[in-house]
Amino acid sequence: MTDPFETLAEHVAERVLDLIVHALDVNALLRKVDVNALLDRVDVTALLDRADVNALLDRVDVDALLSRVDVNDLMRRVDMDTLVEQTDLGAVIARSSGGAASEALDAARSQAVGLDQFIDRWMQRALRRKHPAPSAPPALRIGRVG
Amino acid sequence: MTTGTHVARSVTSQGHYAGSVSRFLAYAIDITVSSAVFALALAAISYVAKVVTGHDVSWNKGNAVVAAVFVAWEFLYFGYSWAASGKTFGMAVLGIRVVMADGTTIEPRRGALRALVFPLSFLLCGLGFLGILVQRERRALHDLIAGTAVIYAWDARAARLRFLARAAEPTVSRPVRGPGQQRPEGGDVKRDHQD
Repeated sequence: MTDPFETLAEHVAERVLDLIVHALDVNALLRKVDVNALLDRVDVTALLDRADVNALLDRVDVDALLSRVDVNDLMRRVDMDTLVEQTDLGAVIARSSGGAASEALDAARSQAVGLDQFIDRWMQRALRRKHPAPSAPPALRIGRVG
Repeated sequence: MTTGTHVARSVTSQGHYAGSVSRFLAYAIDITVSSAVFALALAAISYVAKVVTGHDVSWNKGNAVVAAVFVAWEFLYFGYSWAASGKTFGMAVLGIRVVMADGTTIEPRRGALRALVFPLSFLLCGLGFLGILVQRERRALHDLIAGTAVIYAWDARAARLRFLARAAEPTVSRPVRGPGQQRPEGGDVKRDHQD
């Protein structure tokens, strides 16, 4: 059997604590806290030592994560010129896919495209078209960039 | 204009309607290759006939049978190529492809029909080909009849990458440096090899 005075004391203490918590301005209190000083005191290395990174990674659903990433959009954002210029990627590509034949083929195709565009520009002028002609079939126009 | 500029422009042309130069060059390659194969086949048949019969066999250009076989061979060459993959050897070289008018993969029967009506563009004094220049979707007469179109289908992005790689190759082997870092001793790898 508990002491009635003890029970009363517990109730009083709880009530007093409630009143104090309600009276406290938590936002003002947090503003006074020096978070940087607090973080300085935290030993991040020790914290990381205690964390099981492998277990953490096991819980990550990489497939779900990757399915949310638009890789094509990501690739379009890559500045290939800079990438090739700044890294050894260019040398790797040149060694793996380079060849006189592929170089000649690239040159011939791109020159032909250039001539196609040149002739097309002149034909558009000669025909005095007010509205530009569609550049690609409908199925290939959807979602195109450039 | 440099090849690099052309390649860069070609990247944005992928999937677009192919122009007259690319299509004409592809056709020129095809007619050369198919005629050469036909001539080789005739020569092979002549040789075998000579070995078997002991008589010389010569093929007259005006021979109706030879002409008919040649026409059949051309139809087979173009028809099968378009029906099977949407491109002939010449088109593969130039990186162009036949698709349905809406841009989807060509149906085999449309490929065969395109080969059948292809001569019509010639028979009308070549006027059928004028569509490649003046028609909004660059479709020739045989394209309009067969419900097809020709597009650029080569991987210009990869070509652009190869071009950049070739252009950057002499200097790319230097390591990436931070703003304050000095160039390491010895320069690039090429110079190292020469030394």
